[in-house]
Amino acid sequence: MAKVLEGPGMGLMKKWGIHVPNYVVVTSAEELDKLGQANDWLKQGKLVAKAHEALGSRFKLGLVKVGLSLKEAIAAVNEMIGRQVGSITVSQVIISEMVPHTEEYYCAVKSVREGSEILVANCGGIEVESNWDRVKRLFVEIGQQPVHEDCERVVTDAGFTGPLVKKMADFATKLFTCFDNEDAQYLEVNPVVMRESDGELVALDAVTLLDADAKFRHPDWNFQFAAEFGRAYTKNELEIMAIDSKIKGSVKFIEIPGGDTAMLPAGGGASVYYSDAVVALGGKLANYAEYSGDPPDWAVEALTEKVCSLPGIKNIIVGGAIANFTDVKKTFGGIINGFRKAKADGKLKGVKIWVRRGGPREKEGLEAMRALKDEGFDIEVFDRYTPLTDIVDKALGAK
Amino acid sequence: MSILANKETRVVIQGGPAGVNAARRMAEFCYLIKQPLNVEAFVYPPEAGKTHEIPYGSGLIAVPVYATIAEATKHHPAINTSLVYIGADRAMKAGMEALDDPHIKLVSMITEGVPEKDAKLLGAHARKLGKIFNGPSSIGIISAGACRLGVIGGAYDNLVLSKLYREGSFGVITKSGGLSNEIIWICSQFADGITTAIGIGGDAYPGTDYVTYLELFEQDPQTKAVVIVGEMGGDLEERAAEWYGAQKRRIKLIGIVSGFCQESLPKGMKFGHAGAKEGMKGEGSARSKSEALKRAGAIVPPTFGALGPAIKEVYHELLRSGQVKEIVEPTSLPVLPKTVEEAMKANEVIVTPLIRTTISDDRGDEPCYDGYPASELINKGYDIPHVIGLLWDKRLISKQEAEIIRRIIMLSADHGPCVSGAYATILAACAGIGMAQAVAAGLIMIGPRFGGAVTDAGRWFKYAVDNKMSVDEFLAYMKKNVGPVPGIGHRVKSLRNPDKRVKELVAYVKSLNIKTPCLDFALQVEQVTAAKKENLILNVDGTMAAVLVDLGFPVDSLNGFFILARTIGLIGHWVDQKRQDSRLIRLFDYLVNYAVPKRREVPPLQ
Repeated sequence: MAKVLEGPGMGLMKKWGIHVPNYVVVTSAEELDKLGQANDWLKQGKLVAKAHEALGSRFKLGLVKVGLSLKEAIAAVNEMIGRQVGSITVSQVIISEMVPHTEEYYCAVKSVREGSEILVANCGGIEVESNWDRVKRLFVEIGQQPVHEDCERVVTDAGFTGPLVKKMADFATKLFTCFDNEDAQYLEVNPVVMRESDGELVALDAVTLLDADAKFRHPDWNFQFAAEFGRAYTKNELEIMAIDSKIKGSVKFIEIPGGDTAMLPAGGGASVYYSDAVVALGGKLANYAEYSGDPPDWAVEALTEKVCSLPGIKNIIVGGAIANFTDVKKTFGGIINGFRKAKADGKLKGVKIWVRRGGPREKEGLEAMRALKDEGFDIEVFDRYTPLTDIVDKALGAK
Repeated sequence: MSILANKETRVVIQGGPAGVNAARRMAEFCYLIKQPLNVEAFVYPPEAGKTHEIPYGSGLIAVPVYATIAEATKHHPAINTSLVYIGADRAMKAGMEALDDPHIKLVSMITEGVPEKDAKLLGAHARKLGKIFNGPSSIGIISAGACRLGVIGGAYDNLVLSKLYREGSFGVITKSGGLSNEIIWICSQFADGITTAIGIGGDAYPGTDYVTYLELFEQDPQTKAVVIVGEMGGDLEERAAEWYGAQKRRIKLIGIVSGFCQESLPKGMKFGHAGAKEGMKGEGSARSKSEALKRAGAIVPPTFGALGPAIKEVYHELLRSGQVKEIVEPTSLPVLPKTVEEAMKANEVIVTPLIRTTISDDRGDEPCYDGYPASELINKGYDIPHVIGLLWDKRLISKQEAEIIRRIIMLSADHGPCVSGAYATILAACAGIGMAQAVAAGLIMIGPRFGGAVTDAGRWFKYAVDNKMSVDEFLAYMKKNVGPVPGIGHRVKSLRNPDKRVKELVAYVKSLNIKTPCLDFALQVEQVTAAKKENLILNVDGTMAAVLVDLGFPVDSLNGFFILARTIGLIGHWVDQKRQDSRLIRLFDYLVNYAVPKRREVPPLQ
């Protein structure tokens, strides 16, 4: 899943015929000033300014301001740009026109196993979140389109009446078309409002999650995906992501500040069981990491160096299940090189390394790990006869 | 018995190198269980019409490659299963092509990163046709003792250790490909092994879910219990729980779900497989899934570590109730033939080497010349003549010797376009011939009359010095046994028109104050021969030869100095012609003396 910010998200909805307010995304007050001279709507109406970043609770942080004149909006941009929130620095602000309205509604499309679900409610904003039972759903099978009568029925079920029924059904249909054609995994408009000037339904806010795997068939996805993490990626994480994007197989790395148990396990499945085992024993994870799909040894070496550089670690868990085709000797070669470099750089002092692994060339790989003892590493090496997560028990003193 | 994959399964693999690799792994399994190879064909348009040679035991089986599934099943009507190893952007088309073929009942997709929509469409299409679409991102399916689809099961040793050569009583379904082997291993250690293990893939919406496979296991009398290994995200585990709890089931269900660590991670932080994402309202968490499984009556070990003992307990219960019997393992199993490299490593075979080298070793991270790493030679100030010394005479020559060699090479690098070698290269270059061939044409000219007398000159001068011959004795010997003295005589140079290259080289070597018996002897020979005929001087070949013999180079290597040096010139001539874009050279007929019979009538054939 890949999160898309409001600006490009609204752009995709507009592409599929959904009314959205006028908006611009700016990176400086000067830019907005110039745009204001070029666009009447910026000069004439009231405006909303929002920090255009993957941040939660922007309202509370003072990063949403409403009812602004252009001058006030320029001042708001000046104030927001460069604000530091946790690890994220505000670098963009989205300015949109205020749409005068009285009623707010809700509409979303979400992915489910056999297709997707259209969700509608005749309340919006925070009201819908506290009245989730008012949301009505229409299932659409994969490969099918929603039938208009069904849409109208579910809209009616949700409490819409009169001419609004058709309007809301149309809106939902368009949102579905956008979802279906843009390889979305989740689209949410909250609120949908009726514009007083012309009675059209308008999407005031967009939550857009796209399927990053489908990027190859969307040449117009020229926007960056936002971090879903609630924080910006660190330099080390970005470096490993850059390696991951260009190799066969994969390497993954996420830092967790304050932990003392470093993880360097193999496999997207086993790595989570290793993390679970640490947490179950009251240990504190210093990171998440994973390599799989027989990655090149240099990539595993780079990952190892990052893991060894984590501050304050006491144990490194080099775990792994019995590989299908990942060459244990080769990938361990990368890990060993990483360990040697880290040691030469004065790292790994007082750090104990725990190894458990199986798979192609497991004997050679484990022997090479064992030989590190002779080089002065504090390392314990186990083979397939030691159950998967037992090294975590041993490391954390439970066994 | 087993589900999905059995001894009747016949496979087409859609894809390139990854598919071929899978076929190799599958052939290893077929060999272990003494069954014929179950891969009948590949479909991969870029290689259509070729065959892939798949090792089976110590032999090779040629498996044909077709452009389409239809062609493959036409020629191999027994095919009923397809494995898809096609890239994510073309995977759906490939999967649909396989599903639409009436022969094929099961399609398993290994490709990772397939768009969610494509996976859903494939799953829906398969359900509509009453077929099974497994994956994407599936490691494969394996039925012990019967059939392997994909690389699931890993290396041959692991197949044996995990007792996959015969069936047990446990079914396995995992999302994680890496953990499938681990669970198979656990089942073989803590119980009697598996019937069938299925990797359904780690995506959010795999084509086929646990329930479909649980139904199949429920109907397979050999399978007594099923282990499912889940992950947070989605609702597949909840649906499995719902199925299990809905009515009394014959099979026991053991389930474990990963992702409990999520609860103590910073908010918003998620990791693991693509499908491992918590739902909007907390559904899909490891805890809710585990609870659902427990409520449905499944055995849910608290940690992964407790899974083995839980499986053991179920197995012992099955033993006690007589539902399963202890298995007597076969006394011997086929041993996978080793490659020559593997057998050598294990000290099991002696191989007579095909060639023997005493000068150069390329097996490390850089070449070693006579044992010295090339980079170290460079960094310690050695030069090209030293490399020549190492590779031609296996010794590190002195600075002084290197300087002599350097001068020899510089003096004989080129001698203009008219000499045989350069002319041949130019002719070839003008005919549009490539560098290697044109330079080789020039080198071919090097022989007894052009540049190739160095070795012979060295040989005979050395012979004379070694045998302490006088100049007269030597000339008499040569006249009687050999012919003209190699290294003596020049086409155009003479005593009055001396070869400056010879003068230069002789003067330099003489200035060094080293012993040069061969050179001295050759100069004495020149005194006598040049007195007889003016152009019978010591030529550049003879000079080089005498000096190099004095330096101790083996006689057989001597022509190499001329060949090496002149190659520099020949390359220069080729590049020169190429840059000028020279035209084809054709000899003018006035440059040929046509000493031929006059035109005449051909007599009738008799």
